[in-house]
Amino acid sequence: RPRRPGTRTMLPLLLLLLATAHSLADKQYVPTLATSPLGGLKTTSTFVLEQPRCAFTKVQSDAVIWLVVAIPKAVANFSNSVGPGTPERAFQGFPTSTQAYMTLNTTLRNYPCPKPPGETTVLRVGSETSCATDKMRPTCNGPLLSPGPYRVKFLALNGSKPVAETAWSKPITLKTALPSSSIPATGGGRSTGMIALTSILSILFAVLLAGLVAMLFFWGSHARGSSTFSKPEAVTVRRYNTHHVYNQPAARL
Amino acid sequence: MAKSDDTCILQGPLVFGNVVIGMCGIALTAECIFFVSDPHGLYPLLEATENDDIYAAAWIGIFVGFALFALSILGIVGVIKSNRTLLLVYIILMLITYAFEMASCITAATHRDFLTPNLFLKQMLERYQKSETVNNNDKWMTEGVTKTWDKLMLQNQCCGVHGPSDWQEYMSAFRITHSDADFPWPHNCCVMDAQGSPVNLDGCKLGVPGYYNSNGCYDAISGPMNTHAWGVAWFGFAILCWTFCVLFGTMFYWSRIEY
Repeated sequence: RPRRPGTRTMLPLLLLLLATAHSLADKQYVPTLATSPLGGLKTTSTFVLEQPRCAFTKVQSDAVIWLVVAIPKAVANFSNSVGPGTPERAFQGFPTSTQAYMTLNTTLRNYPCPKPPGETTVLRVGSETSCATDKMRPTCNGPLLSPGPYRVKFLALNGSKPVAETAWSKPITLKTALPSSSIPATGGGRSTGMIALTSILSILFAVLLAGLVAMLFFWGSHARGSSTFSKPEAVTVRRYNTHHVYNQPAARL
Repeated sequence: MAKSDDTCILQGPLVFGNVVIGMCGIALTAECIFFVSDPHGLYPLLEATENDDIYAAAWIGIFVGFALFALSILGIVGVIKSNRTLLLVYIILMLITYAFEMASCITAATHRDFLTPNLFLKQMLERYQKSETVNNNDKWMTEGVTKTWDKLMLQNQCCGVHGPSDWQEYMSAFRITHSDADFPWPHNCCVMDAQGSPVNLDGCKLGVPGYYNSNGCYDAISGPMNTHAWGVAWFGFAILCWTFCVLFGTMFYWSRIEY
């Protein structure tokens, strides 16, 4: 039977295509925020990423891995060939004059694979404050000035040639600090204990005052009343002549 | 002065009542002196809220306690001697003391209700490590608040009012002079070694459990303040209830004394 002319050449072509497509390998690694529970995972100017361990498997160990931080709209036409340290990739111009910067460079040897269990392997983005305004340090890992969102990826360079990259991360938004005046004004409510205490004490005090008034009134009326009892009747003592004493001279006749 | 049977029976309980009042008066004085001495060092926080009336209540308590003790002795003497004048003086002075103690109890209870977590949070954010102070009073209060919070965080191993997230969720005077990257929270929130420096500063900044204090300090503040306020308010209330009975009995006794 006559075979279709293209099939035999199609198959190897397809395989070749697949191979080249797979060459900028390791696209399945997506950078994420650190997985261990950290209080400072995202602050208002920094965030913490998981190290890209076992992300670059087909790259030589002396390749340099760079972190690329970009605003989301720069992701679509981001060019891997613009090198780090150039004004287009300088931290100091981000995000006003450049839309992405590269920092945290280190050799692949520092990300050994597999990751030892129990070790915290993180990268803190934004920890270097000393070089944040120093234009001589375009690869500074300076703190981010706005809450974002940002997207990151890792890029492996051999010399100045990009050899591998990871996928772009999901957008990362940092925390925003509210002004302290937004804390609700704290007029404490009246607790039931305080109301009970106040009312009971007031009642008791009122009763005591009433008792004092009654006491004084009673004293006053008692004092007035006792003056009518006043002095006892004047007892007149009459002299009774028990023996009739007549004129004696009359009897002597 | 003639005594009837009524008065004879009343004398015993009245003397006993006055003895109890005297002892409670001394206890009240001692308790209020303890509170005024501020063993937990929290007074600067109250001073900065400009609402330190629970301390005023404790001061009144000191004097009231002493007055109660003195008047109870007068009362005992008056009851035993059945002297109308003495007892009248006793009743009137006791009523004045009663009024003052009532004021102290109500003040302590009412002002305790003002001391909410948000009040301390706002104060901490606005005053802790504030660098530009307007006048001397402001400077005094700021220094008081800063020193107190530093001491609180070190001694109780805590951070912020609800937790270290307070420093992240809100802007603060601290944030103006200390950058977020270097000081996500004050360094006093870090776990310290024996020399007073952080065990692992990077771990503290990252927020690794074990290198920073993740619990809030509100319990360490509200505990002593509750004890203070409730101690003054409710012990005073108990004394006043007892005093009410004794005074009522004394008034009755007084009216029964015959010339």
